[in-house]
Amino acid sequence: MNRFEWTSAGAVAAAARLGPVTVAEAMATQSGAPGTAATVLKAGGIDLLDLMKEGLLTPRRIVNLRGIPELGRILEGADGSLRIGSLVTLAQIAEHPLVARRYRALAQAAGLPASPQIRNVATIGGNLLQRPHCWYFRSLHHHCLRKGGATCFAFSGENRYHAVFAHEGCAMVHPSTTAPALVALGARIELLRRDGSRRMVALESLFLTPEEDIRRENDLKPGEILAAIILPPMKPGVRSWYERQGEQDSFDWPVAEVAVVVKLDSPGICREAAVILGAAAPVPYRAKAAESALIGKPSSAGNARDAARAAVAGADPLSGNGYKLPVFEALVARAILHAANQG
Amino acid sequence: MAGNELRPMQYPVGIDPAALGEVERRVSPDEAPPLPPNARLAWIGKAVPRANGHAKVTGSALFTVDRKLPGMLHARLLRSPWPHARVLSLDLDAAARYPGVRAALPIHETVGRAVPLPPPGTSPSTPPARQVLYVGDIVAGVAAATPSAAEAALRLVHVEYQPLPFVADIEGARSGDAPHVFDGPVAGDSHAGGAGGDVPIAQQGNVRGPDRSGSRGNVREGFAQAEIVVEGEFRTQVQTHCCLETHAVVADWEADQLTVYMSTQYTVGVRDELARVFGLPLSRVRVVVDAMGGGFGSKSGAGNYVRAAVALSRQAKAPVRLVLDRREEQLDSGNRPATVQRVRVGARRDGSLSAVSVDSYGTAGVGIGAGVGNFAQSIYSCANFAIAQSDVFINAGPGSAMRGPGNTPGAFAFEQIIDELAERLAIDPLALRDRIDPSAVRRAERRIGAAHSGWSRRHAPGSDAGPVKRGRGVAQSFWGANVQTNSACEVRILRDGSVELLSSVQDIGTGIGTVLAQVVAEELGLRPGDIVVRIGDTDFPAGPPSYGSMTTASITPPARNASHQVLGKLFDAVASALGAAPENLVAVAGRIATADKSRSMSFREAATHLRTERISAVASRSDDYGGFARRFGDLASARNALGGVQFAEVSVDVHTGSVHVERIVAVHDCGRPMNPRQIESQVQGGVLMGLSYALYEERVLDRNTGHVLNADLEYYKIGRSRDVPEIEVIFLENYQGMSATDAYGIAEPANIATAPAIANAVYNAIGVRVRELPMTPAKILSALGRIPQRSGGQ
Amino acid sequence: MTGTITRRDFLKATGAAMTGVAVPAAGLCAAPGEAGQGAGRAGNGSGLLAISLNVNGAERRIEIEAQMTLAEVLRGPLDMTGTKVGCDRGACSACTVWVDRVPVASCMMLAVDVGERKVVTIEGLARGEELHPVQAAFIAHDAMQCGFCTPGLVMSCAALVESKPNPSIEEIKDAISGHLCRCGSYPHVFAAAMDAAKTLKG
Repeated sequence: MNRFEWTSAGAVAAAARLGPVTVAEAMATQSGAPGTAATVLKAGGIDLLDLMKEGLLTPRRIVNLRGIPELGRILEGADGSLRIGSLVTLAQIAEHPLVARRYRALAQAAGLPASPQIRNVATIGGNLLQRPHCWYFRSLHHHCLRKGGATCFAFSGENRYHAVFAHEGCAMVHPSTTAPALVALGARIELLRRDGSRRMVALESLFLTPEEDIRRENDLKPGEILAAIILPPMKPGVRSWYERQGEQDSFDWPVAEVAVVVKLDSPGICREAAVILGAAAPVPYRAKAAESALIGKPSSAGNARDAARAAVAGADPLSGNGYKLPVFEALVARAILHAANQG
Repeated sequence: MAGNELRPMQYPVGIDPAALGEVERRVSPDEAPPLPPNARLAWIGKAVPRANGHAKVTGSALFTVDRKLPGMLHARLLRSPWPHARVLSLDLDAAARYPGVRAALPIHETVGRAVPLPPPGTSPSTPPARQVLYVGDIVAGVAAATPSAAEAALRLVHVEYQPLPFVADIEGARSGDAPHVFDGPVAGDSHAGGAGGDVPIAQQGNVRGPDRSGSRGNVREGFAQAEIVVEGEFRTQVQTHCCLETHAVVADWEADQLTVYMSTQYTVGVRDELARVFGLPLSRVRVVVDAMGGGFGSKSGAGNYVRAAVALSRQAKAPVRLVLDRREEQLDSGNRPATVQRVRVGARRDGSLSAVSVDSYGTAGVGIGAGVGNFAQSIYSCANFAIAQSDVFINAGPGSAMRGPGNTPGAFAFEQIIDELAERLAIDPLALRDRIDPSAVRRAERRIGAAHSGWSRRHAPGSDAGPVKRGRGVAQSFWGANVQTNSACEVRILRDGSVELLSSVQDIGTGIGTVLAQVVAEELGLRPGDIVVRIGDTDFPAGPPSYGSMTTASITPPARNASHQVLGKLFDAVASALGAAPENLVAVAGRIATADKSRSMSFREAATHLRTERISAVASRSDDYGGFARRFGDLASARNALGGVQFAEVSVDVHTGSVHVERIVAVHDCGRPMNPRQIESQVQGGVLMGLSYALYEERVLDRNTGHVLNADLEYYKIGRSRDVPEIEVIFLENYQGMSATDAYGIAEPANIATAPAIANAVYNAIGVRVRELPMTPAKILSALGRIPQRSGGQ
Repeated sequence: MTGTITRRDFLKATGAAMTGVAVPAAGLCAAPGEAGQGAGRAGNGSGLLAISLNVNGAERRIEIEAQMTLAEVLRGPLDMTGTKVGCDRGACSACTVWVDRVPVASCMMLAVDVGERKVVTIEGLARGEELHPVQAAFIAHDAMQCGFCTPGLVMSCAALVESKPNPSIEEIKDAISGHLCRCGSYPHVFAAAMDAAKTLKG
């Protein structure tokens, strides 16, 4: 890792005044050499250190957000919403009783990535904003489109872990395993601007497809700081579930994951549905056809299967990842039934 | 010692307790007397706790990466980012001038790879321009006062590369128009499990071979006699060793002495290699290893990086520490080569084999030896056997030996074909093996394993209802029982009654130090904790390597004989005090006593009678009492090879393609078991490495750019805690009356049978055979025909 | 959609033209270019930061480079080499230590980021001569072979049994799911952790 100047921020506004740029901006260069000379923010620091150790990111200054009290809290709103500070760790979310009770899919998703050691440090903000884990993107020697090059190496290369949907231009899969659950649950995020003002947006709208911007995975604006994730109050009859599968059961990225939220009325008819696929596309991927297939119908095994089939109907697998489709299909059906049938 | 005439002695023989008998061997009087079966011993065969366990659980164990010497420098290596390029120029000036840098050198070592043979008639005076042959090939090295200075200096090394065409996939490399990895014919050592090494073998383009050595009989006739023929093509992947302690060395070149602290499996081998390379007498090179963080075949020799460290130390006149990072480790510290095997077996209706043919090619990158070992050749009775093995060169880091080299990929293919044959013959796979396997030991192992694993509950392939299907499978191991006769140790008794054992043998985690303490304690009537075991240092008598599953077999007999001999000297010293002839004394329970126990004194008191401060005896490995089956210099193969049978129980989710191994029953033999708990640890480790090979591991090399895409422990996937099945380890006490301890190895047999046992269980679960490793969800779903055709697009 | 890869793309990737320009550093693992080097040297102008670390109950004042990880500082300036580095990317957990009693990967935490938090390493687990029950159980069950991953595994198992009196085998597997033991000691580690939990409850 390169040397850098180290600053600890005591408050979000103070951090914002130091002129930080996003990691994507810091990495962006014209020449193919990694980015330089920028001030970046550090939350848990896991992705930051990973990028720096690979030589992909060489910041001039690191501003430490850890220790800013407002970012590290989980607070219940008077309306039953839940505000999760962006520096709350994945472990804290997975273990939080309110999260487990109301937002089960999130608790499940937060308790599985990487290792306990990493989840004890990695934050929800960092998890959402981490850069892609595509092995070409992470290689100093592959100057891919997302890093300003001319090629996506995955399309003609090794793409077993890459996208099966919406990969126009870049075949990365979005790396956040909490994002599908948060999007399915209708989470909003609070962003703090350099001038101290705040904006709230739906988390789903934060993520950018490669067509929208090949160089950034999200629409975090220069100088903005992700302050909190806000989960809406849970309406009666709403249940959620998260399923994932990797190639192994320990310390593995999912090859497919799905978060499902359904709202069932008293006879068990599905009135609202969210089906979000992860490890599927450059953004958390909403399987709209699956959602439509569920609404207005009872949550039977047959209907779950139909919805699952619909979920993968529009997929466009690459040379080496067609296997993901049956996996997604199985997981979607299972997640729907688990969500619907839990107590 | 005494005269040379051999004396007849009676040794226990057979599998205890089922078939225990006695055999007479004629042995030298220097040999310790026959050991009774383990049940009658105090320490041998007991679960004595690991001697360095305390150091390992408290963090005080000293690994090579933990060594710090005064004035020690830190080295880093510059490695090629190109899969194939000519090095037009290399400028180290700026790096050498960087503050703190004490040495900067071009490095061009070729250990482990094939080397071009000079074309006939050319003079060797003009060496060809330096080429790098794979991503990670070492180009230069720097040593500096701090790690960050070394890192910074490395960035100042100026290299001009001229990229050359490369090939990074095995099928591409075989095609006629593929770029050539080597310009002409090559030769080199074969370590990775293949045949062919440095013998002249035909080479066309990137294909060197086939080597047909090992064939016998007439397979054409054999197949003509066959009533049933089964055949299949099997593919295995490149596996990397992934030692937790990466390759590490601290080299200290002083005026009259080179001392190398190194994470190695063979201190003496490294010492000999470095003496030869640097033109030093053996007496001026010392290699030391204390705690050692895993080798699995990859740390057998000095290798290129150690040579680089020694050269840097010589230039800097200071100790140099060089520790590979994980990426370097994955790119350039050896690997188990990939193979493609076409296997064909002809049999008669009664199951007997009439012909076996194996046609294989594989790639060890720029190395030689991507073969399939001697598994198919040796395990079953068959008069007609044909083998043809070829190496295919690609621009990738060289392969090396890895736990059961050759036989591990070989068994994956061959044990599945045998399973297919059993099904075609409609007989139980165990019954078929009873018919064709000449090993009585494996026969016993099959019987025990069948009972413990619930084999009788095995159902027809693919017969479970529902998406999650269960299955059982079995596979066997074959591995030579290797012995190195250049293997010695010294046992000393000091005047205060303390006892030392000294040998250069190294403990790579198998616990040989503990076993040696058990052996000496047993012989001297002491406790293992009383014995100070000093090993891992070439200043001590030369011990064996820790590879080839030969360490215990090679070093425990001399340890026992040296103990016996030094005890004889102690008896001589105390005989008169005890009023008995030396030959009528015994050492038991911490005392030296007359045979009738009427008179005795403590061991400590006995030692005070020594005329000198200490007495000692050095013994080396004598030949097996029954003779060896084969011998090549210092290396020999015992008459009875090592067996092992493993039973796997799996569940397969046919909707997601996910395979879970639920249980493994591993039944093994290693002659006389020395420490059952450590053996259990090793067998569990072999099973888990085999499981991980079967399901997860694969080096991914990008054919378009020649880069390894998962040179890490994140996308190079290895089974961990949640992937661990229930493992039942059973091992036989298999006495053969062959040496003073009658102990043999276990490490490799424990690894060889696992992947095929799992593959056979997967077949039993889903009714479809998976012929390619690793058996990921993608491979399972593909075998099941569940992957939809691509809709087009990309 | 994309076509084949041209040599130019890849060359760019490695930062070199066909001939002429040095491949940045790199070789394979370093940050190319000097821009990051020397920039923003913090503190006293020496490029070093003075920090205080509470390790195993003792306050240690040291000068470090800002980019040094906790693992590097423990093993280097503090000379506590019991903490092992296996991958330097948080992928093997050999470097596990406790920070405020929570197991973390010390290779993925900057030393300067530890702040006031208390670090416990393998060297600080035993009370004097008395081993922690997890350490004793590791010896009794032979829950190690080469022993390189052992300090990290001990730290994770000790954190588990101290926070959960009756861990199930599944909880033990979860707690150590990030650890890599290439020798395959897991079955004995499970048994040792179970045993140690009983001893602690005891």
